[in-house]
Amino acid sequence: MKRMIVCVKPVPDPKAWDRLQMDPVSKTLIREGIPSIINPLDKHAVEAALEMKDLFGAEVVLLSMAPCDAYPVLREVLAMGADRAVLLSDKAFAGSDTLATSRILAQGIRNIGEFDLIFCGNFTLDGSTAQVPSQVAEFLDIPNVMHVCDMEIPNTQSLLLTQKIEQGTVKLEAKPPLLLSFTKDANKPRYISFMEILAAEKREIQTWDNANLNIDETLIGLKGSPTQMADLLLQSKQRKGIRLTGNPEEIARQLADKIHQLGII
Amino acid sequence: MKRQHIGVFIEQRGGVLHDVGLELLGKARELIEVSKGTVSAFVLGRDISTHSEDLIARGADTVLLADSSALEPYRLLPYTSVLAQACKTYDPDILLFGATRMGIELAPRLAARLNTGLSAHCMDLRLDTEGKLLQMVPGWGGGVVATIRCPLHRPQMATVMPGVMKKLVPTKRSGECIHLDVREDFQGSGPKVLEVHIEEPEEMPLEKADVVVAGGWGIGNPDGWTILQDLAALLCGAVGATRPPVDEGWVPESRMIGQSGKTVKPRLYMGIGISGMSHHMVGMDESECIVAVNTNPNAAIFEVSDVAVVGDYREILPPLLKEIRTRLPEGRTDTCEPPQ
Amino acid sequence: MDFLLSEREELLRKSVREFAEAEIPPKIEAMEKTGEFPIELLEPMARLGITGIIAPPEYGGVGLGYLARTIALEELGRVCAAIPMAMQVHHMAIAALNDFGTDEQKQKYIPPLAKGDTMGVVAVTEPSGGSDVVGMQATAELKGDKWILNGRKCFITNSHTSDFWIVMAKTAEGAKGLSAFIVEKNHPGAKTGRVEHKIGLRGSNTGELVFDNCEIPKENILGQEGGGLAVALKTVSESGRPGMAATALGIINACLEEAAKFASERVLYGKPISSLQAISFYLADIYTELDICRLLCYRASWMKDQNMRCDNENAMAKSYTCDAAVRCARKAVEIHGSYGILQEYKVQRLLRDAVVTVPAGGTGQIGKVVLARAALAPYRKKK
Repeated sequence: MKRMIVCVKPVPDPKAWDRLQMDPVSKTLIREGIPSIINPLDKHAVEAALEMKDLFGAEVVLLSMAPCDAYPVLREVLAMGADRAVLLSDKAFAGSDTLATSRILAQGIRNIGEFDLIFCGNFTLDGSTAQVPSQVAEFLDIPNVMHVCDMEIPNTQSLLLTQKIEQGTVKLEAKPPLLLSFTKDANKPRYISFMEILAAEKREIQTWDNANLNIDETLIGLKGSPTQMADLLLQSKQRKGIRLTGNPEEIARQLADKIHQLGII
Repeated sequence: MKRQHIGVFIEQRGGVLHDVGLELLGKARELIEVSKGTVSAFVLGRDISTHSEDLIARGADTVLLADSSALEPYRLLPYTSVLAQACKTYDPDILLFGATRMGIELAPRLAARLNTGLSAHCMDLRLDTEGKLLQMVPGWGGGVVATIRCPLHRPQMATVMPGVMKKLVPTKRSGECIHLDVREDFQGSGPKVLEVHIEEPEEMPLEKADVVVAGGWGIGNPDGWTILQDLAALLCGAVGATRPPVDEGWVPESRMIGQSGKTVKPRLYMGIGISGMSHHMVGMDESECIVAVNTNPNAAIFEVSDVAVVGDYREILPPLLKEIRTRLPEGRTDTCEPPQ
Repeated sequence: MDFLLSEREELLRKSVREFAEAEIPPKIEAMEKTGEFPIELLEPMARLGITGIIAPPEYGGVGLGYLARTIALEELGRVCAAIPMAMQVHHMAIAALNDFGTDEQKQKYIPPLAKGDTMGVVAVTEPSGGSDVVGMQATAELKGDKWILNGRKCFITNSHTSDFWIVMAKTAEGAKGLSAFIVEKNHPGAKTGRVEHKIGLRGSNTGELVFDNCEIPKENILGQEGGGLAVALKTVSESGRPGMAATALGIINACLEEAAKFASERVLYGKPISSLQAISFYLADIYTELDICRLLCYRASWMKDQNMRCDNENAMAKSYTCDAAVRCARKAVEIHGSYGILQEYKVQRLLRDAVVTVPAGGTGQIGKVVLARAALAPYRKKK
C-alpha cells in the first residue's frame, strides 16, 4: 500500500449560503465573498487515507479541481497529515459538469502515477450529485464502492468493506486498485494539530493546468459537458405556511399527500 | 414533437421491487402521453420475470429482462455492463433511475460508460417542445432550483428521489417481455458480495429520526399521546415534546425538544398542539418540512411552518392515520418495515 | 502596524475551535457538578499541541509563541473557561522551568508537561496572602543534601491532578529570601490537602498543598537561592496574567454570541428584542469590550514574542479583561431576562466564571499598582 489519492473539494460555507446571489444575466451563482470550507465528507475520506498512512506508511496525495483560491483550504487539509496536494486549475475547466469534472480528475490521477486506493466523500454539500466517484472510477477502469461506512484491511491485497444501503448493510470483499466513497459514519476525522499546521506549511501544493493534463478541449469545461443549465431560480427559504382547508377528511388527504411527496410514504 | 423511448431502471433487491421504479414508470407514462412513444422497464436479477405483468400494468410497454444468477445480488460492474449493452441495443432517448443507494452508485457509472449526461435527484421532469427532457434539480440545500438539459448526448439520464413521482394504479394493459441474453458470469468483475444484512429497525432516537411527531400543551392530557405515538410509529419516526407536557409528567424529559432539550433536524416535523415559543423552536427550526396543527389561528408556530392546519388534533389525526395506511404498499403496516 | 493574524494563527484558531466545540460540551455537566478537571481531555489536548504549545521542541513541545497560546486559550475559554484556566497554569510551570531551570531539570520536568502526562502547578499563594508575596510563611531549610519544606499553599490550580509542583518558600527573611523549588508529590512529607469548591471556573481543580517536613533533593531548587521572587514575578507577569486574560477573553466571546443569538430569537411586543435599543446598545457595548480586550491581549502577547518587556501591557490585559468579562456577562444575563438566572441556561455560567477570573492569577488591584508605577515613573522626584 504505497500511495493513496484523496479527492477533495472546497465548497462554499453553508453558514454563508443565505448570502448567495445570482447574476440575472448569466444565470450563475456569484461565489465571491462566500468563504470556502473543505467538503465535510471529504474529511472522512482523508481520515481513511491517513489510517492507511499510519498502518503502511503510504503516501497520501490530495487532489482537487478548483480555482486557485483553494490554497487555504488545501493547506488546512494538508494540516490533517497529508503529504502533498495537487490542484487542477484552469479557466478551461470552468463550467464542467460531473462527466467533464470526472474526466479531468481521472487524468490528474493518471499524471500523479501509480496508486493503490482512491478515496472520496460520498457527496458534496453544494452540488450533492454524488456522481463523481463512480464516474472517475469508470474513466480509470477500476471498480468503485459508494456509501462505505466501514473499512477493514486484513492484508494489503484485500479490503473488507461495509456499504450502507436503505434497509441495512452489504459486506463486500475488494482488491486494490479501487475507488471508495465514504459516509460520515465511516470514521472520526482527526483534529488538526499545531505540529501538523507547522509541518504543512512546508508541504507542496502543485498546480496543474490543461497544458499539464493535455485533455482534448472538446472534452472539458462547458464544451465537454453533456448536461447544460437551461435556467436557475433562487428559492426563498422562507417557509410558506400554506393553510390547508376543508373538512378533517380533506385535510387528512392533503397532509398525507404532502407526507408522500417528502418520500416518507 | 419527436416520439420518445423512455427507459426506466426497475430496482430490486432479493426479488423485491423498490417502489421508486414503479413511480418512475408512472412518470414515464405521463411524459409519453405528451410525446407519444414507448416506455421500457429494464429489470436485472434472478427469477425476475414474475414481475413483468405488474410492470406492464403499471405503465411499461416493454419489459427488458436480464435474468441470470450472475446478476443476483446487485453488483455495480455487472449491472453497468448489462445496462450499457441493453442501451446500445434498445437505444432509449431517456433513462430514469431512482436516487437510491443503488441508483446513486449505478447511474453515474453507466452515464460515464455511455459518455452521456446525468442529473441527480430531480424533483420534476418535463419535455420541451421538441420532446427533449428538462430536469429540475435542487441545489444549495434547496435554496436554488436549476433546469438541466442534455441536448446532444443519449440517453438523457436522470435520477429521481423516491416519493417524488406517483405510481400508477394497475390497469389492464398489454405489453411485451424481451429476455436479454446474459452470457458472462462476471466472476472477476469487481468486489464480491459476502453478505447482505437487513436490519431490524430499533427504537428511533430523537436526534436521528427522519420524522418527528411532537406534542405540546395543546394535547391536553396524557391519553392524547397515544395517537401521537401511533402516528410516529406509522411514519417510522420518533415522538418529541415541548416543556409543558414534560413538566406535567405526560412524557419523559428525554423527549423534550428545545433550548434546554434536544435539537432535531428531521425531514418531517409535525408539531401538534404546540404554540411555538422560541425556546422550543430553536430545537426544530432547521427541519426540512414543518407541519403544525393548532386550534389557535394566531399560534406563533404557524409563522415558521411550511404547512399550517388550524384545527383540533383529535379531529385531524384519526383520518390522517387512515389516509396514510391506505397509501402504504401491500403487506406493510408502517413506513419502516423493510422489503423482505 | 499590522493588525491582521497570519494564516498560521487563523488555522490554529480554527483547529482549537473545532476541537473545543466537539469535545468540551459533553464534559461540562460533570465539571459543574463535581468541580473536577476532566483529566481524559488531557491526552487529546496534548495531541492537538495545547499542553506543550510554548514548550521548546527539544523537550517535546510545539515551540509556538505567546500570541498562538493566547488564541488557543481564548478559543477554549469561549466554550468553557475552566479548561484554559487549568491550561494556563500548566503553561506557567513550563515557563518557570524553561526560564530558570538547569538543563537536567528541563530535561526531566518539561517533557511530561509538554506531552500532557501530568499537569503543571505553580504554588505561590498561602493563607497568609497571595498578593503579599514577600509575606509568605512557608519555609525551606537546607539540611545536608536535602531541602526541608514546611508550610501550606492554598488556592492552587491543578493541585490534585499533578505529579510535581513548583513551590515558593522562604529561605531567608525579606525580598531576597524567597526561593523556588520543584517538589514531587511522592517526596516524603508532601501531600495534597483540601479541595476548594468555587462558584465558577468549576472544572479547574483548585486545592491545597501541604508540606510537613517535606524532604526534597538539594538539586530541586529552581533558580538561585534567594532568586525566588524573580521566578514568581516573571512567571506571573509574563505567563500568568496573559493566560488569565486570554481565559476571560474567551468568556467575553461567549457572552456576545449567547446574548446576540438570544436577542435575535426572543420575541416580545411582536418583534425580536434585538430591535429594542436598550438591548442592542448592550450588545454594542459587549462588541466593543471584546475588541478592546482582544487588542490588549494580542498586543501584550505579540510583545512577549518579540522579546520586549511587557509587564505593563500584561497587567492591563489581565485587569481590564477580567473586569470586562464580568460587565459583559452581567449584560448578557440581563439580556436573557429571567432566563438568565436559570441553571439550565449557559449564560449564568459565564457570569460565575467571569467573577472567578477577577481575583485569580493576580488581582486587578496589584495589576494597578504596577500600572500606577509606570504612569508616575516620568515624574518621580529624584533623591
